[in-house]
Amino acid sequence: MQLHEDKYKDLNLKIGLEIHVQLKTDQKIFCECSSDYINSPPNNNICPICTSQPGSKPMGVNERALENLLKIGLFLGCKAYEKPFYVQRKHYFYPDLPSNYQRTSQPILGNGSFMGVGIWEIHIEEDPGRYELREGKVDLNRCGVPLAEIVTAPEIKSPEYAREFLRDLLLSLEYLGVIRGESGSIRADVNISIMGGNRIEIKNVNSVRGVYKALKYEIVRQKAVLQRGGTISMETRHFDEASMITKTLRKKETVADYRYIPDPDLVPIFISSDRLNEIESVLPESPHNKKKRFMEEYSLGEEITDALISDLYLADLFEEVTSKSNPLEAGKWCATELKRRLNEKNLSVSTSKINAKHISDMIGFIERGELSVKNAKWIIEDAVDTGKDITLLMKEKNFYQINSEDTLIKIIEKVIQDNPKAVSDFNSGNQNALHFLFGKVVNETEGRAEPSKTIKLIREKLCVVS
Amino acid sequence: MFTKDLIDNLLSTSIEENLHKKSEEIKKRDKEINSFITLGIEEAEKASKEIENKIKGNTQGKLSGLVISIKDNIAVSNLRMTCGSKVLENYVAPYDATVTNRIKKQDGIIIGKCNMDEFACGSDGTSSYFGPTKNPRNIEYVPGGSSSGSAASVAADFCDLSLGSDTGGSIRCPASFCGVYGFKPSYGLVSRYGLSDMAMSLEGPGPFAKDTYGIALLLDVIAGKDSRDTVTVEREKLSYTETVEKFNDSDIKKMKIAFAKEFFEGVDEGIKKIILDKIGDLESLGAKIEEVSMPNLKYAIPIYYLVVFSEFSSAMSKFDGFKYGHYVGGQDIVEAVSSTREAAMGTEVKRRVLLGTFVTMEEFRGKWYTKALKARSVIKEDFKRIFNSYDLLIGPTMPTLPWKIGERISDPLSMYSADILTVSANLAGICASSQPIGNLKQLPVGLQLHADSLCESKLLKGMRAVEIACGGM
Repeated sequence: MQLHEDKYKDLNLKIGLEIHVQLKTDQKIFCECSSDYINSPPNNNICPICTSQPGSKPMGVNERALENLLKIGLFLGCKAYEKPFYVQRKHYFYPDLPSNYQRTSQPILGNGSFMGVGIWEIHIEEDPGRYELREGKVDLNRCGVPLAEIVTAPEIKSPEYAREFLRDLLLSLEYLGVIRGESGSIRADVNISIMGGNRIEIKNVNSVRGVYKALKYEIVRQKAVLQRGGTISMETRHFDEASMITKTLRKKETVADYRYIPDPDLVPIFISSDRLNEIESVLPESPHNKKKRFMEEYSLGEEITDALISDLYLADLFEEVTSKSNPLEAGKWCATELKRRLNEKNLSVSTSKINAKHISDMIGFIERGELSVKNAKWIIEDAVDTGKDITLLMKEKNFYQINSEDTLIKIIEKVIQDNPKAVSDFNSGNQNALHFLFGKVVNETEGRAEPSKTIKLIREKLCVVS
Repeated sequence: MFTKDLIDNLLSTSIEENLHKKSEEIKKRDKEINSFITLGIEEAEKASKEIENKIKGNTQGKLSGLVISIKDNIAVSNLRMTCGSKVLENYVAPYDATVTNRIKKQDGIIIGKCNMDEFACGSDGTSSYFGPTKNPRNIEYVPGGSSSGSAASVAADFCDLSLGSDTGGSIRCPASFCGVYGFKPSYGLVSRYGLSDMAMSLEGPGPFAKDTYGIALLLDVIAGKDSRDTVTVEREKLSYTETVEKFNDSDIKKMKIAFAKEFFEGVDEGIKKIILDKIGDLESLGAKIEEVSMPNLKYAIPIYYLVVFSEFSSAMSKFDGFKYGHYVGGQDIVEAVSSTREAAMGTEVKRRVLLGTFVTMEEFRGKWYTKALKARSVIKEDFKRIFNSYDLLIGPTMPTLPWKIGERISDPLSMYSADILTVSANLAGICASSQPIGNLKQLPVGLQLHADSLCESKLLKGMRAVEIACGGM
């Protein structure tokens, strides 16, 4: 069951994504220019090839880019096609595209899956430059930065799950070290259909949040159109990031004809099985295999496991914790409280200050009866936010549990004195009064009273009083 | 051998003087012949002084200061590169083509950029925005195209060697019409990096010279793998010039040469006779001559033009006036692009762009483009079959003599049909040459030889054999 899937069940909502990520390389895909388009002045990292000067030719597809793309494919459980693939020319006129065609390969790998969503195919292409429409300025630094396009099956069933899928996919790719870090975002074309309507494509959505917002908007819009008795016909829409709504770009009857031809300047590329095996052998464990192993090796439940592997840095941290702590405890804390705090702060394990020692120390304190479960949740928040040592936080927060009977008795006596009504209620047989008084003791000690001892002592005291 | 003797002579006299003689000739006669679009005399003089010094230290490169002209669709840095079009009237190349770079490294002196049919779209040298090139043998006649200026500049003795490009005969046709040697290398032997696109899967740069040795010399300099052109391959280890030098009369006896009757269909009777006479001469020198058949040759022209239109329309997309070249502008992108192209491109270029756009549309691609690519392999098979048993295929280069300037310009189909004997070598990716073997009505007649892909040595030996059969030194 996907996140919030049941909310959209009646709509038969189907969402498919075409996701573009920039592959990590030092050089551009078809030339030797630096692919760093962000930290250099406009039109600085350019050459006759990436600016399409008359007579220039593309060099072969950048090896590193291709390797990173293969890593992505294999990691997502895809198979490489056995035939050599051609790079094709996709023709359209736009100022950021100096040749007025984009080089984009045929599918290189396909038939994979990630988080229960099918991956149809993955191919490589070149990023165009950047065009400032209002100023009429073009910066070609980005032109030729290698992109991977990942096409999913229309198997995502809620905007919420689309968001989670994208967030987790990005984390995985970052973990693999195959995408450009600084871009931090993705570009996606979003396909959506609901029952009674045709497929709508929303082009060029530039963030995970944008994908979520665009989908939310589209669902409301399409439902409204259908309710009024209108029809949803196939079209391409554009997402306006500022107003968070989508607008018609073109109807499908006027579908763009890109006049694809195989690029005569590039020889078809064959990927040998030796090469694939070599890459596979150094690839980190795929999410699919990791899930299987976690459930078998650590006896974790599926829900906890899914939460852990959705962030591979978190999965790594969890495994590190298990070397010192009980895996079930480690899994529970990592998958619930730690993940919740990271999401709240929009962080990942890799970008926050949390480490394995924090979690295993904390579990140690709980097991020794020095930290209550309730306060442990606060400790995790502080550890994520500050990265401070757990022992230090225990002291700073004064979280050590009160175990001494003498101390507890003193507090209990005070509480009994202050709440005569509860005492008489208890004496007339109302068991709830015991819990009420326990609550008072917990409050009095800021949650530090050791629970089982406290209950035992309250009961004893009440019996004495009566 | 003419070019070899010339080099020996240059080394003992003065290359500056040779250059000076050439530039004087150009000044005197090129106003009329119009073989150059841009001259680089100053740069050339500077280079000649440097090479002169190298010669004193005996460290000069293979080209030893020979004067070379380059077709204006090949990039020479800091020189204008117009491709014979208004589109690029003011475009100065910011880089050297790989072939240019190699010529410079081997101490060739680049004297200027040659006139050509606009974007290489033409077979007679008259569609240039900078005016037609005239045939130095008789200025009322076309020089052939599209490398019109390259052939004319060699024929007029404005340079020692020239570099052109051949997509469907653009080297061999003007070589034949102007009476010089022209050579289309196998696809992938010479780097296309820096050669402006016409039909990328068919073309490549190649040399013009006054003899076989000159061809071999320039080919030695430009051939070989280049990381900037992924279709290039390693060349044969053997030096081409050595192959030519070592060739002697008795080697002709080892040659197996085929001729196909299809290569003589529709050919001018006078030309046919001259070619057949020369084949007879080779036979009497001991070559084994046999007739073969090329049943699919009749499909070559339609296949060739479908491929050309498709690739050309794609290649021409970049000329929108935004980055370089002629710019007209407009209200929006579409208007800006179309008005720029409308204003700057010539009729034949526009015709090819439009036809190419049509045949690659999704609706028609299967019917035209994809079919043409398949049919192309049939032509390849024909050649393969022949080269399994023979070293060379021999025939005429052009079906007719040069025509008068302006005669065919309004009839594209008759222009296209002139390419009938040359395009199949490009479709098959093999090497082919043209060399002068006689005159008819005081106009030169060219003989064409084909050899298998990457068998340049065989082809050069064949050219040398014909040269000997013509009584050449």
